[in-house]
Amino acid sequence: MIKTLGLSKEYGATVALNSVDFNVRQGSVYGLVGPNGAGKTTLLGILAGLRKATGGSMEVASLKMGVLPDTPLFDPWLTAREVVDLSLAITTGNHDEARVSEMLEQTGIAEDAARPVGGFSRGMLQRLGLAATLVARPELVLLDEPCSALDPLGRREVLDLIARLRGGATVVFSSHILADVQEVCDTVGILRHGELVFEGPLDNLLVGRAQPKYVIRLRPPMQPVIDQLEGLDWVQDVTVVDPELIRVTGASLEIVETNLVAALAAAGAHVVSMAPEAPSLEDVFLEVVR
Amino acid sequence: MNLWKLEWIRLVRTRRVIGIVGVYVFFGLLGPLTARYMEQIVENFGGGVEIVIPEPVAADGITSYVANAAQIGLLVSVGVAAAALAFDAKPQMGIFLRTRVASVRDIIVPRYVVVTAAVVVSFILGSIAALYESVVLLGSLPIGGWLLGTLLGCLYLIFAIAVVAAVTGKSQSVLFTVMISVGIMLALPIIGAAPVVAEWLPSHLVGAADGLVRDGSLADYLPATVVTVGSTVAALWLAVYWAEQREL
Repeated sequence: MIKTLGLSKEYGATVALNSVDFNVRQGSVYGLVGPNGAGKTTLLGILAGLRKATGGSMEVASLKMGVLPDTPLFDPWLTAREVVDLSLAITTGNHDEARVSEMLEQTGIAEDAARPVGGFSRGMLQRLGLAATLVARPELVLLDEPCSALDPLGRREVLDLIARLRGGATVVFSSHILADVQEVCDTVGILRHGELVFEGPLDNLLVGRAQPKYVIRLRPPMQPVIDQLEGLDWVQDVTVVDPELIRVTGASLEIVETNLVAALAAAGAHVVSMAPEAPSLEDVFLEVVR
Repeated sequence: MNLWKLEWIRLVRTRRVIGIVGVYVFFGLLGPLTARYMEQIVENFGGGVEIVIPEPVAADGITSYVANAAQIGLLVSVGVAAAALAFDAKPQMGIFLRTRVASVRDIIVPRYVVVTAAVVVSFILGSIAALYESVVLLGSLPIGGWLLGTLLGCLYLIFAIAVVAAVTGKSQSVLFTVMISVGIMLALPIIGAAPVVAEWLPSHLVGAADGLVRDGSLADYLPATVVTVGSTVAALWLAVYWAEQREL
């Protein structure tokens, strides 16, 4: 759906994007993450045709595109219904009252459809922006921080809406909220200082970075077990997470998997449960961008 | 809803249409009145100094209207036009429109046409008011000359709004657009102080309504008309070209 090769963007002496090779499969939900100033908005702007690349090439398979900026704004004297209707009309040339109502309903602003948007909160504007973006059934959806101003309920609804797009539309979704990316995206790209330092399926990113850590739930007393584990040369760290939970870090995943069960048995531990600690996207993100 | 209706709604809901119509009609009514009673007005504020004012004629009513329309009317028109044409002033609004249309021309044309139509109609209404009151208070006027002069005045306004459109191609700010546009409009008569270029400048058309109800002829305004039409087309082309070049 989208393929860039060596895409670059410079603002004078500042390099915003440096030779980015970006690939988005048709029908996927692609999460674009990175620290502030990494180039996410610049990349989305170039894909949307709002900015011009200073180098490289880009192929976008569909021109039927919907774009949502991070803080959407509309003429304050328009009603929410008029905004969505206008969006549909100028994108497709058609009017479809039923479709406009459906989008207002799905984004949770149907009750405020007749109100001028000048009185809307930032969260409501974000929902309205999403309705206006999706109303024309775009094949490619570019969303810049779509959940940044939403309350937990709004976030839940928007994430569900994005998840439902999978397979029907291709979504590129930039976010600072890594849990959101982990929840709805199947592919992740990590930008750092204008460079795409990782791109691939989310599972590859997480599995390839499994830590040699186990989380173990024990019945008290835990201290004798902790003392014994800390005395072993392959154990690097034992952390008490809560009164019945410890985290054991070993020298390598293989050593931990081979020796931990025997070590716990030798220490007389009453094990309730144990599992390898799965790395979160946040852990991996921090590791990659540092 | 479409981009044409959006512009009409903008004029109505922001009440800008009242501002434009109001300012031209107000000066259309005020102009002949001040021309007719100038002597009495000066007497009241003259502080005992005797000032001799020639007997007013009907054309003075039009002169007074044109003078005010060319200043305050133009300033209001430029402000209203800048507010509509600077669609990138808030980049999020620019993104909403730009990512939905095939070309920025689709955004600029309705905004330019609707605002220009409102300004032109307002100027004509003001001119009709000035004509009516001039005839009632001061005597008859040549209708042909008045009509032609009013149309040439409209052409100047069409040019002025095109200049605003072009300036928004380079300036995202509404305030900056107003300042630059007004600066250009003020510069033209200054350049026109040189007699060799005066009759070629669009600003020469400002006085057409006044000139053609006196002893002027259409030929006096032909060079400026040709230049104004050409400049308007060029300004609109630049407006689209510069807006297309802009990055958000």
